[in-house]
Amino acid sequence: MPREAEPSLNERQFVLQALTENLRLDGREFDKYRPLELTFGDEYGVADVTLGKTRVLAKTSAEVTVPYVDRPLDGIFTIATELSPMTSPAFELNRPTETEVLLSRLIEKTVRRSGAMDTESLCLVAGQKCWSVRVDVHVLSHDGNLTDAACFAVVAALRHFRKPDTSMEGGVLTVYTPAEREPVPLSWLHSPFCVTWSFYGEEGEIALLDASWSEEQIRVGSCTISLNRHGEICQIAKLGGTPVEAVALLQCTNVALTKVKEFSTFLDKKLAEDAKRRDKGGLMAELSAENDR
Amino acid sequence: MPATREPEADLSVLPKADGSARYSYAGYTVTGSVNGPIEAQRRDEHAYEAHVDVIVRPAAGVGGTRERHLETTLQSSLTQLILVKNFPRSLIQIVLQVESAPENDYVNTKLVQASLNFAIIPALLQTAVLALLSAAVPMRATATSAIVAVVSQDGASELVADPSPREVEAAQSVHVLAFTSQDELLLAESEGDFTVKEWDDVYDTAKRICCQSGATKGESIEMVLDEKGDNGPDMRQFLRSTLETKVVADLYWK
Repeated sequence: MPREAEPSLNERQFVLQALTENLRLDGREFDKYRPLELTFGDEYGVADVTLGKTRVLAKTSAEVTVPYVDRPLDGIFTIATELSPMTSPAFELNRPTETEVLLSRLIEKTVRRSGAMDTESLCLVAGQKCWSVRVDVHVLSHDGNLTDAACFAVVAALRHFRKPDTSMEGGVLTVYTPAEREPVPLSWLHSPFCVTWSFYGEEGEIALLDASWSEEQIRVGSCTISLNRHGEICQIAKLGGTPVEAVALLQCTNVALTKVKEFSTFLDKKLAEDAKRRDKGGLMAELSAENDR
Repeated sequence: MPATREPEADLSVLPKADGSARYSYAGYTVTGSVNGPIEAQRRDEHAYEAHVDVIVRPAAGVGGTRERHLETTLQSSLTQLILVKNFPRSLIQIVLQVESAPENDYVNTKLVQASLNFAIIPALLQTAVLALLSAAVPMRATATSAIVAVVSQDGASELVADPSPREVEAAQSVHVLAFTSQDELLLAESEGDFTVKEWDDVYDTAKRICCQSGATKGESIEMVLDEKGDNGPDMRQFLRSTLETKVVADLYWK
């Protein structure tokens, strides 16, 4: 497979020189995201996220399976991130690259390990039956900042998803098809989002938000901060690179919080719009079998 | 769920790939990307022709044997279309990402092990052709494809073009046919029980859907008006108009 072309010395110098003069190639400010767009599919649990030229599609699906033996009271929740040659011919099928491993690890830590979804609510019969919820992340095009886009897509897809309704009567479990009963949403606890900073300069003194692919290739270090809109930090990952001053990092987390609040309101707005679109004739309230929490 | 009755397509939707297309029809939405000709791996390298690599990725779950089967079917068809002899020792990589497929509301599907059935072949093939055109890969001809199901009702069999998942399940046999732009049969896959007579009817119906504009070119307008409605969309005309729109948009500056 052909390798991705590395930026030449000229390109490198050009971008760095511009950054020292407080300019970015696309004219954005340093702490500004590219335009973020989100569209939901016709089905439940499909989110298509576009961040500039980066495009990520996440699809959620669920089925009834047997829980793990060591966790009989928990459901199964997996996030699959596989980069296909569609992203770039440099990626090969079934041969994970470093980008892919880091991406899936970061999303796993942000969404799964932070307890964003209540996995106990996925349990149907202890030790025998549970829901297995799976999110597939498909990266359609990669133009930098994959982590933030993918994380946003995963959270959006999970919050949009509805799983089939079930009932237990006399030890018999019934799973209703969408035609019989309106599917129910997952029990969702909080929405964490990733915000990635890229550092430039000899001591990492220049910090950029939402680096594009060309900027990402020449950075000296990066730091991904995951938090929810209440300011609860789920993880901070700074994997190697040039050391960054602690005060600068604190400043980064503060800016990250404002960005996460923006993401959160944006997602809430989009979900409300979508619910309105589906609720034709205002029958949704009657169809729903969901209980108030 | 409202399935689109009219086919829709966008060309060059992905900025990085050499060519790409997004196609949606009858509930299926597929995004395809084409990269090529690029350097082939040692094991795929062929001394006299380009290797065509087709990758089908399901929307949910991991691909299995069914996806591999679809890949081989498509690969053999597309190798016929692409002028592979023009690019020895290289690779033309086609990735087809299924975004959504129509669901049967009356059955709870098993999802973690993906199982695409062959009703998706027309959508995949159409996307691949559009993406190849967008990547400007030299081809012998373009291709259009259709799916026809034979449904038996009260003893009499009826042909249904573009059947829904429920109709596919209830059908006696399902047929996928593809034709090149020279009206030649490119692909014929069938599933279920059927007679030779039924297959001939299916062939005629599919050919009408795939090759309409070629057949009605010299004939009167009444013919066209007459045939519209019960025959479904005209795939070749659709392919042509999509490309025309794209070319007009691209050459706007001239």
